[in-house]
Amino acid sequence: MNQQPVQREINPIQRARLWYALLLIVFGIFAVRVFYLQVIRYDYYKKAALNTQLKQYEIPAERGIISAQYSGSTVPIVMNQKLYTLYADPVTVKKPVQTAAKLQPIIGGNVDTITKSLKSGGGLRYVILARKLSPAQSTKILKMKLPGVGTQEQDYRTYPQGTLAAQLLGFVSNDGSGEYGVEQALNKQLQGTSGQLKAVTDVNGVPLAASANNILTEPVPGSDVDLTVDVGMQSGVEKIVKAAQEQYKSKSVSAVVMDVHTGAIKAMANYPSYDPANYQQVDDAALFQNQAVTEPIEPGSITKVLTTAAALQKNVITPTTTFYDPGSWPIDGSNVADVEEDHSTGQQSVLSTLDKSLNTGATWMLMQMGGGQINFQARSTLYDFFTNRFGLGQATGVEQGYEAGGYVPKPQNTGSGINLTYANMSFGQAYSATALQMAAALSSVVNGGTYYQPRLIEQTISGNGQVTKIPPKVVAANVVSTQTSNEVISLLEQNNTNHVKEGFSYLNFGSGYGVGGKTGTAEVANPVGGYYADRVNGTYMGFVGGNSPQYAIVVYNMQPTKYNGFAGSGTGQPVFANIAHMLINNFGVTPRNP
Amino acid sequence: MTYSSTLAMGRGASAANMRGQNSVTFKVTDRRLGPVSNTIILIVLACLLGLLYLTQVTKTNSYGYKINSLQQQQSKLQQQHEDLSVASARLQSIDQVASSATAQGMTPVAPSGSVQ
Repeated sequence: MNQQPVQREINPIQRARLWYALLLIVFGIFAVRVFYLQVIRYDYYKKAALNTQLKQYEIPAERGIISAQYSGSTVPIVMNQKLYTLYADPVTVKKPVQTAAKLQPIIGGNVDTITKSLKSGGGLRYVILARKLSPAQSTKILKMKLPGVGTQEQDYRTYPQGTLAAQLLGFVSNDGSGEYGVEQALNKQLQGTSGQLKAVTDVNGVPLAASANNILTEPVPGSDVDLTVDVGMQSGVEKIVKAAQEQYKSKSVSAVVMDVHTGAIKAMANYPSYDPANYQQVDDAALFQNQAVTEPIEPGSITKVLTTAAALQKNVITPTTTFYDPGSWPIDGSNVADVEEDHSTGQQSVLSTLDKSLNTGATWMLMQMGGGQINFQARSTLYDFFTNRFGLGQATGVEQGYEAGGYVPKPQNTGSGINLTYANMSFGQAYSATALQMAAALSSVVNGGTYYQPRLIEQTISGNGQVTKIPPKVVAANVVSTQTSNEVISLLEQNNTNHVKEGFSYLNFGSGYGVGGKTGTAEVANPVGGYYADRVNGTYMGFVGGNSPQYAIVVYNMQPTKYNGFAGSGTGQPVFANIAHMLINNFGVTPRNP
Repeated sequence: MTYSSTLAMGRGASAANMRGQNSVTFKVTDRRLGPVSNTIILIVLACLLGLLYLTQVTKTNSYGYKINSLQQQQSKLQQQHEDLSVASARLQSIDQVASSATAQGMTPVAPSGSVQ
């Protein structure tokens, strides 16, 4: 009997179970793999992802604005402006000649120079074609879509008042740090604190909001600074020193105007100067220096004011004391005689010492400090007055870069003609001081005896709006008594009156104002020793005011070559007079009570 | 006979325990999803949840573009403000004022004398 093969039928339930098992196996594999990637290897893949997605940006802080005084309020004199740097990648630029031809009408300059930059070899990938382009210029260039050419936004300092106070302000270099002047001295406060953005970004670098890894630290803007300088006064003094340098064919001219009652610097000018907006074009870096604070010189006979003040304060002389002038004093084997005025021997006075600028008179005053001779007592006394009271021989701490402290020799006997050195010091040689130091010293003598630290900053305004006023800082009180102060003021005013009578009519300010001062003709030290025979500096130190001095003025006219008479009276004194007249005519010097 | 009476009869017939072999019985059975269907549905639900999450994240990230655009606008306006401030300061500079038509039209006056 034939039998049909038995057909085994697969149970549908069994088939479903089979498929179910298969499905579970497949998804099990997926689950294991996902678990491996996302749990076991979590750190590795997270790090790899963040490396490409997470971008870190530094958000630069806005640099503080510098303002100055003007008619009772302030005006900005240093601001920020976003300008553009034009750059190119020479490797990517395929048609340098055509590219240069398209760029030149927009950026100016020479087509050949631009072409040369675009053809730069050596694998150079970044060349700068132009700086400080306006937003309009940048937009025009970008619209042309030139391969390999782009613009980069950059903050630049801009100077609405032009070259005003250039050396006092300084500038900001391309790496964002302040150089010279206030920009250097206050760089930390002005530059602020950069912020930071760490964010997961898309392919175009746009931060994505949904990332928990985003970190945003807002930048802290730099503090704004208000200077004590008056814009009008600064401009006037700059015009005067420029005219003086041109008239007397000087190496340079510096002038300082200081408020005697606060130490605030109202004007500080030098010529020659430079344009801080184009500092890169300056060849001689010495031009960046504010010579009024960086270049100490032997000030010459203006020092006799300080020697007189010291002698009066020590009560070894009075304003009316007279003495016999032998014409010269033999000291340490040398003869100390006069240079500025030629006179015969005879009775002289404190006033004639100033009027005729007698080196012998100043030496005599020093001798009185030592009981009649130059000795350790006399030297110590003069050293004490010069350094501890008048602030010479050390930096004042004014907010300027590269301030020099000058030099005052110590009174100890080193066996090298110390008495002769101190005799020279009494009339302004053998020590050095800057124009600012002399202005601060004179201020302390004529304001009743308080030495204020010279300052340029009136107040600062922090990034969050907090205003911090900088009050006058007393460094030393009672440097001279009120009586001594009044005596010196009177002597200097009489000195001025005498000069008017001697023919210097420009020193006539009328009886309504109190103006006094002293000339100086200082020899210029030769670095190899001694002094130059054919070079001198013309200096002047004086004050202007009414019932009491209001402003101290110091002029350093360096190595003038075209003048009459002595350098002090011929080149320093006229500059002082011009500044004094300018102050009286324009800046509210209070006249004497009628 | 009606359909319903037929059903009633059927119910009665089942109570008699299948006396008539030709009677119709109706049994209510539970409908259930099989394990495969269950698994697939769970997977689909999980995908839907994932899609929902992705939608929310994408929506949030899109705010980043809006923020970026607003920040660019703000930057542009700030720059315009800066440029205007600089231009204003330049117009008030001493040299600019001195060379202005108003200043040029002024007559210099020398002091007639010192204040007594």
